[in-house]
Amino acid sequence: MKLKKVMALLMAGTMVLSMTACGGSKDEGGSGSDGAEASDLKYTDIVLGEDYTDLEETITFYNNRTDMAQDDYPGTTWADYVAEFNKVYPGITVKVDTDSAFADNSLLRLQGGDWGDIMFIPAVDKGDLSSYFLPYGSLEDMEKEIRCASDWAYDGVSYGVPCSVEAQGVLYNKAVFAAAGIEELPKTPEEFIADLKLIKEKTDAIPLYTNYAAQWTMGAWDAYLGGSATGDSAYANQVMIHTADPFSDPGDGTHAYNVYKILYDAVAEGLTEDDYSTTDWEGSKTMMNNGEIGTMVLGSWAFTQMQQAGEHPDDIGYMSFPISVNGKQYATAGGNYNYGINAESSETKQQAAMVFVKWMVEESGYAFNEGALSADIENNDLPATYADFGDVELVYNDPALEGEEDYLNMINADSELMVNAGGNTKVQAIVEHAANKDMSFDDIMADWNQSWKDGMEYNDIEAK
Amino acid sequence: MTEVSVKQKKSFSQWLHSRQGQRAVIIFAFSIIPLLLLFVFTYLPFGEMVGFSFYKMKYAGKRVFVGLANYKAVFSRDDIVGALKLSLYYMVGSVVQIALALYLATILSLKVKGANAFKGVMFFPYLINGIAIGFIFKFFFTRGFVFDSVLQWCGFQLDNLPYWLKDQSVNNWSLVGTSVWRYFGQNMILFIGAIMSVDDTLYEAADIDGANKVQQFFHIILPSIRTIVTLNVILSITGALSAFEAPYVITGGANGTGTYFVVMNSIAHTSQKVGLASAMAVVLLLIIFACTILQKLFFKYVFRNADDEDGSREPKQRSGKKKLLGRN
Repeated sequence: MKLKKVMALLMAGTMVLSMTACGGSKDEGGSGSDGAEASDLKYTDIVLGEDYTDLEETITFYNNRTDMAQDDYPGTTWADYVAEFNKVYPGITVKVDTDSAFADNSLLRLQGGDWGDIMFIPAVDKGDLSSYFLPYGSLEDMEKEIRCASDWAYDGVSYGVPCSVEAQGVLYNKAVFAAAGIEELPKTPEEFIADLKLIKEKTDAIPLYTNYAAQWTMGAWDAYLGGSATGDSAYANQVMIHTADPFSDPGDGTHAYNVYKILYDAVAEGLTEDDYSTTDWEGSKTMMNNGEIGTMVLGSWAFTQMQQAGEHPDDIGYMSFPISVNGKQYATAGGNYNYGINAESSETKQQAAMVFVKWMVEESGYAFNEGALSADIENNDLPATYADFGDVELVYNDPALEGEEDYLNMINADSELMVNAGGNTKVQAIVEHAANKDMSFDDIMADWNQSWKDGMEYNDIEAK
Repeated sequence: MTEVSVKQKKSFSQWLHSRQGQRAVIIFAFSIIPLLLLFVFTYLPFGEMVGFSFYKMKYAGKRVFVGLANYKAVFSRDDIVGALKLSLYYMVGSVVQIALALYLATILSLKVKGANAFKGVMFFPYLINGIAIGFIFKFFFTRGFVFDSVLQWCGFQLDNLPYWLKDQSVNNWSLVGTSVWRYFGQNMILFIGAIMSVDDTLYEAADIDGANKVQQFFHIILPSIRTIVTLNVILSITGALSAFEAPYVITGGANGTGTYFVVMNSIAHTSQKVGLASAMAVVLLLIIFACTILQKLFFKYVFRNADDEDGSREPKQRSGKKKLLGRN
């Protein structure tokens, strides 16, 4: 009994000390109270290497990267990161729990509550964030330190920190481009189509592989109509929902119209695979690696997969989407999975967890190792993935305005276009119409505009 | 008053303790659980679904009553009407499937060497998981893969062959072929089972009368297994209307192969128009009812002569009057 008391006192002592160390934060209240004052813990207040270095705790980190839990992972494994972390924080033991069916299981385990202390935030409703996850601090403060802080923020409070930030572009094979005599990467749709024609003429490679049959790969085309096609960070979540004809031709080679037109033209001119209905996603990775495919329109996460799919990792390149707004290229960037901390964990576990998260974001080099950008605003390292993004300006889509969060979902559902929400069928239809030549591109876009407008009218959303 | 009620009570408890009462209690006790399960998991959700079909709603969020708008949409939307027309492909396929199954079943129930091996081989596709079959056929139909190679061995030129899944004039037939390949074995086994129950003496008698195999088939086998034929036709037509696995796995319902179920699935889950999808389900149910009733009438007509014959081989000469009597 006495021993316990002494221990408790010691604990309280160290905590009070560590609290004063981080400067100006309120009294944590020692070991007695739990959770009540946990909100005092702020991501921005933590100074790595100085605060909590004496903390003794065991935390569990639940995530989707089963490959990184394997010893034969070609990059840095979880064990490596934890070992590096323990050099600074020897007292904090991090157990990594990975799950190959993370997207589904994480939601179930989240309901159960017994999932550990840190997890990648799965697809929950933003309104529920506070019941599961610990706030990192106010959105205002967080935005000064991390990118995409608003991804998992609600009511001005931030609940997530992205593990990495990725920019959207187009995969291409450098060897194929060289063989076709393409020296400069295309910056406009016309240049891109011209380059695809060159590839068809001079090489045996498929200029553009649509991956039509895998379906979700077609939905990937939607990702460019925000920042990449307009250069406007407000477009995707604020402007488009108030535009009655978002699919019309603006006449300057930008916006959604020209994104999809690239696909239509490429198919219509025979610059895609021979038989789109039997494309094979897994096989396409190897074909890309071996130089049998010129380009593929996919997110940057695919870059590493293509590199690992064969013996020519250095041939894989990633370029910005071939659209220029007033002569300048932009790329939509967004956060990957976010670290979330269990709101139900004990206070010391939460402290340890937040220290680990901050260390992963700022010190670990995780994002760079994984070929992505860091969420840390001061870290501007461009990994190999973005070697061709020199002049490209990254655009982080702004969140929807207050009270308009559901507008996109409402229009999407009523128009059945499902932009950036699994609307694969509509993009597949472009390929079909282009191949069968039974509907012109302008007619398709007029059709989409009509659906979009009907969706807006049905939900009484005004056009601006 | 009290006397009467006491008397009634007594008689009820007496009844309860009587053999009849005990039997009723046991029947009730045994059937209440399955009935309850049936109600909770079938009729209640179905009733709910019928209710949903009058609303514009998503899985979550508020519902708006829209009356018959969803039903109007079912009949006015091109994709849904187109999907219903697609069912015709599968219905043609199911006719082929049943004819093929009946033909093979008849042959295999005659004395054939290795009949069991053939039965096994032809029934096998039905045992494979539908998703796996989808993947198999995706490669089977890929340009220059299995099917094209086989046809090339037979002397076809690759350039003259269509793209089995890309070309919209053949891709539905490709998918129908897949589903025929998968299901005809099952029909065949059902037919063989029915044919085996036909009395052997009938064949002997027919042989003595000089009937050939074709005549035996039309006058002995077919009338004897008419129930199972009707059943199989009904199952195939309902199956045709609700074709799902082949188009869903092989083409994802894209490229003009979206059957009613595939379209319904995407409306319900991608676009989250739960009300419209529910209306589609109700309409499909009504169509299936209608088809079933029509078939019943059709088969009643086709087998009208076979109905009342018990071993006698002269259906054509029966008088209408006798037939009516036989019915009753």
